Amino acid sequence: MKGKLLDLVLVLGGVVMIAPLVWLVVNALSEPIDAFQLPPRWIPRPPTLQNFEQVPDLIPFAQMAWNSLQIAVLTTAGALLTSALAAYAFNRLRFPGRDQIFSVLLAALVVPVQLTVVPIFIMMRWLHLVDTTVAIWLPALVNVFGIFFLRQYIASIPRELDEAAIMDGAGHFWILFRVILPLARPGLTALGIFVFEASWNNFFWPYIFLSSPEKMTLPVGLVSLQGAVGGPAVVLFAAITLVVLPILVLFLIFQRSFIASIASTGLRA
Amino acid sequence: MAGPLVAAFALSLFHWDLLSTPEFAGLDNFKQLVTDGATVRAVINTFVFALASVVTHIGIGMLLALGVHRTMTRGTKYFVRTAYFFPFLVSWAAVALIWKYVLDPAFGLANYYLSSTTNWLASPTWALPTLIAVDWWHTIGYTFIILLAGLQTVPAQLHEAARVDGANAWWRFWGVTLPVMSPTIFFATVITFIGAFQIFDPMVIMTQGGPDGATRSIVQYTYEKGFQSFEVGYAAALSLVLFVVIMVVTGLQFRLSRRWVHQ
Repeated sequence: MKGKLLDLVLVLGGVVMIAPLVWLVVNALSEPIDAFQLPPRWIPRPPTLQNFEQVPDLIPFAQMAWNSLQIAVLTTAGALLTSALAAYAFNRLRFPGRDQIFSVLLAALVVPVQLTVVPIFIMMRWLHLVDTTVAIWLPALVNVFGIFFLRQYIASIPRELDEAAIMDGAGHFWILFRVILPLARPGLTALGIFVFEASWNNFFWPYIFLSSPEKMTLPVGLVSLQGAVGGPAVVLFAAITLVVLPILVLFLIFQRSFIASIASTGLRA
Repeated sequence: MAGPLVAAFALSLFHWDLLSTPEFAGLDNFKQLVTDGATVRAVINTFVFALASVVTHIGIGMLLALGVHRTMTRGTKYFVRTAYFFPFLVSWAAVALIWKYVLDPAFGLANYYLSSTTNWLASPTWALPTLIAVDWWHTIGYTFIILLAGLQTVPAQLHEAARVDGANAWWRFWGVTLPVMSPTIFFATVITFIGAFQIFDPMVIMTQGGPDGATRSIVQYTYEKGFQSFEVGYAAALSLVLFVVIMVVTGLQFRLSRRWVHQ
C-alpha cells in the first residue's frame, strides 16, 4: 500500500517534469489565436503546422541546423580519433616523459573552458576565424577528458592481444584500429554520444564566437529569435520544438546507450 | 594545455580593448576585483547558486534514486526514469526560452497553477531562487541517473546480512547504502559544484544578470567585461577568479572526503 502511494507520487512528479515540454509542443502546434490560453490546453485543436512553416521566415533554420550538425559531427569524429590515438600512446607506448605529460594533461581537466575562452578568442581573431564554424570545432578536436577516459578503457584490454598481433608483424596503427578499437567499442560509443550531445546543445562557445545568423548554431539561433521583431511566440515555440524533438526521439531509440554513456563517462554537458 | 592558463595570467596584467596597443597595468586588474562591487556580487551569487544546486540536486536526487530503486511495474519505472531524465537532454538555450514563457506573469503556467501574480524573473528576491529551480529541472536527471547507477552497485547480500542482524530500513540506509554509495555521492557532488560555478546560459538568456545584478554570475560578468565592454585584461582576471574558486573548493572537497568517503 505504501509502495503504491510512493509510485503515485513519483508518477505525478514525472508528469510535472514533462509538463513544460508538452506545453511547448502543444503551443507550437496551435494557431496563434488558440495558443497560450489559461487554463492551459493540453491538446492542440485543431493541430496546425503553420507555425513550423513560418520558422524559416525569421531565421535561416536549415542553415543553422546544418552548422550545428557539421560542428557536432566534426567535433565527435575529431575528438574520438585524437583521443584514441593519444590514449593508445599513453597506455601502450613507452617514451621519455610519458607519465609527466599525462599528469599535466590530467591537470588540464580542472581548467574551466571559461578560462580558455579569452585567450582563444584573441587567437581566433588573429587567424581571422571569429564568426566562422571553424572557431567552434577546431578547439574541440582535442578532448582531454576523452583521452583520459579511453586510456582507462584501453588499459583494461589485455596486452597479450597486442603481442600476438606484433608476432604476426602488425604495426601500431594496425594494432590500434584492428585489435584495440573494436574491443573498445562500448567506450567509444559512450564517449561519442557524450561529445555529440554536448556539442549539439552547447551555447556558451558559439554565443561568443558567432554573430551572423547564417553562421550560428541552433541554440544561438533560437536565442536570437527571442528578440526577432514581428515573430509571434508560437513560431519561436515551433523552432524550439524542432531543436528539442530530434534529441528526445534519438534518446527514446538509444536509451540504453545514452544512460550507459552518462553512467560510465560520468560527465555532464 | 597550460597555455591558456599562462595566457590568461599574462592578459590579466594588461589593460587592453582588443584594438589599441595593450598597456601594462601591473596588478591593477586584481585590485579592481576587490573594489568592484559587481564582482563581489557576482561571486556571492555564484556561491549561493552553487551551494543551493548541490543541496537540492544531491538531496532530492538521492530521494528519487531510492524511490525508483524498488520493485515497481516496468511501465511505471520506465515512465518515471524517462520523465526525470528528459529535461537534461534539452539544450540550455531551449530550456531558458521555454521557462521564460512558463514563468511569464500574465500567461505562464507557473502563476496559473500557483495562483500567484509574482513576476519571478524581475523580482530581486525571487530571480535567483527561480533560476536555481530552473537549473534543478534541467539537470536533476543527470544527478538522478548517476546516483541510481551507484545505488545499483550496493550488493543485496549486505542488506540481507544487516536485516538478519536486526537492522531496520533506516539503519540499513545509514549503515549499508550510504557508505557503499559514498564514492558516487562524492563524485556527483564534485561535478555538480564545478558545473554550478560555471553557470552562464540561464542568466544570459533569462535575466541578463538582472534585476540590478541579482542573478549575475562570475562567468557572465567575465563575458560582459571581455566581449561587451572589451576590458580584456579585467575579464582574464575574472576568469582566473573562477579557476581559483573551482580549484580551492574541489581541493577542499577531496580533503574532507577522507572523513566520509569509503574507498
